[in-house]
Amino acid sequence: MLGDDEGETVSFTERMLKIDRRIIFLVIGFCTLLPLLYPVGLPIKISQEVRGVYDHIESLPEGSAFLLSLDFDPASKPELHPQSISLLRHAFRKNLRVIALTLWVSGTGMADQVITQVAREMGKENGKDYVFLGWSPGGTAVIINMGQDLYGAFPADYNGKPTKELPVLHGITNLRDVNYAVSLGAGRPGVEEWYVFGKDKYKFEMGGGCTGVMAPGLYPLLRSGQINGLIGGLRGAAEYETLMGQRGRAIAGMDAQSATHLAIIVLVIMCNLFYFSSRSRARSQGQAGA
Amino acid sequence: MIFLRRQIPLLITLITGLVFAGQYYVPHPASEQMLTSVTKWLQIIGGFALVLGVSSLFHVHAVKIRRKEAGWGYSFVLYVGMLGTIAVGLWSNGKEAVDGAMTAFGWIYNFMMVPLQSTMFAILAFFIASAAYRSFRARSREAAVLLIAAVIVMMGRVPLGEYLIPLSGDLSQWILNVLNASVRRAILIGVSLGTVALSIKIIFGMERSYLGGGKE
Repeated sequence: MLGDDEGETVSFTERMLKIDRRIIFLVIGFCTLLPLLYPVGLPIKISQEVRGVYDHIESLPEGSAFLLSLDFDPASKPELHPQSISLLRHAFRKNLRVIALTLWVSGTGMADQVITQVAREMGKENGKDYVFLGWSPGGTAVIINMGQDLYGAFPADYNGKPTKELPVLHGITNLRDVNYAVSLGAGRPGVEEWYVFGKDKYKFEMGGGCTGVMAPGLYPLLRSGQINGLIGGLRGAAEYETLMGQRGRAIAGMDAQSATHLAIIVLVIMCNLFYFSSRSRARSQGQAGA
Repeated sequence: MIFLRRQIPLLITLITGLVFAGQYYVPHPASEQMLTSVTKWLQIIGGFALVLGVSSLFHVHAVKIRRKEAGWGYSFVLYVGMLGTIAVGLWSNGKEAVDGAMTAFGWIYNFMMVPLQSTMFAILAFFIASAAYRSFRARSREAAVLLIAAVIVMMGRVPLGEYLIPLSGDLSQWILNVLNASVRRAILIGVSLGTVALSIKIIFGMERSYLGGGKE
């Protein structure tokens, strides 16, 4: 510690414990910005959770019905948008019939944009290769309604075309006819609701994607096999991009996330060192006083 | 009046609760048709609930503006935002884009709502770092265990952490798959049992808070 005088040393640890939070904000800001400007590109290890979703989509034959529920709003865009892009690219690459929808009204525009963007990139046609059903009120009621009668739940798609006339939905009357469903959820309704009100009754195979914060809460569903895979947060999205062999925003963001995590760990270790130093100093001063 | 405000709703809750609890186990087509009809009604009611929520918001903030309470300026901004977005949304027929061209509603969504919502959650990272520095201290043994687990998971979930300490990846996976999953499962079971108990109380009229207040 600097300073010969005990008072100056105590003051330093106390000052460090009460450091202006703007300094911490600056540290985090630099740790986020610098790796984005100067990427390092460390290798990303693939987890079993993400591989579960990827392998299942790989195993689906061409023309299978793949349902993607984009249950998130712009607040969760940084984590779930890259997941949706990778999943859509994978589904289109496998020539699956993509049925997309959202249970979150504030995410409708974003969902429409991502599907249109990826479909255009992969040369897919609306109504023939994919459909975006849009949003309908009711949350879990929509899931049950789709399970009973898909055309009753969504008589028209997001662009107003009658769903019964769309070639992409040929042979699909309800959720029992869906081969695989993935819910990218940022809260409720999300993955749990799709399982409880969807898969449990209508028996389709299901995977999930979620924000990093939510991922630990979905591990019971994953471990029991109720969902066969889980893409958790930006890390999950980066793993999926790695499996797809395509560098996107998620891989680019992992360097920033690495630096930020390391910064927080260093800050937490430093704060504990200062805390214990301050505590032992106070104890020894107390003993000296006695 | 009490009969209409208390007894009828309780009776409806009892009958529909028992019927639809049983419906799940009855695969007869009539039962499935009943479920289809009721879920359509649920969606319709959900749509009306949205209108109710918005009108309630209008009313609350109108009172604040009229009385010029503290922060009434923000209420005014909210009013302008809501009315403007509703007007533009109706004019654009609720579409963000038509034939590839962005509508005014789409402009509001893409250049106001998306950046504002993203920013609101992005700044959380800074506050989390600051809060972690100030409060994540090993004041006790339990806090120390939590701290160590958090550091391991933070290291293991990023490529840099796995590169520096290769074991952190496997350790964090073990923490998530074994420790976390088992505890979460226990919490889920507890919550689910509580939900079942509450549902039974509501169905049989023992829990009446959903009816709201008012004179008997």
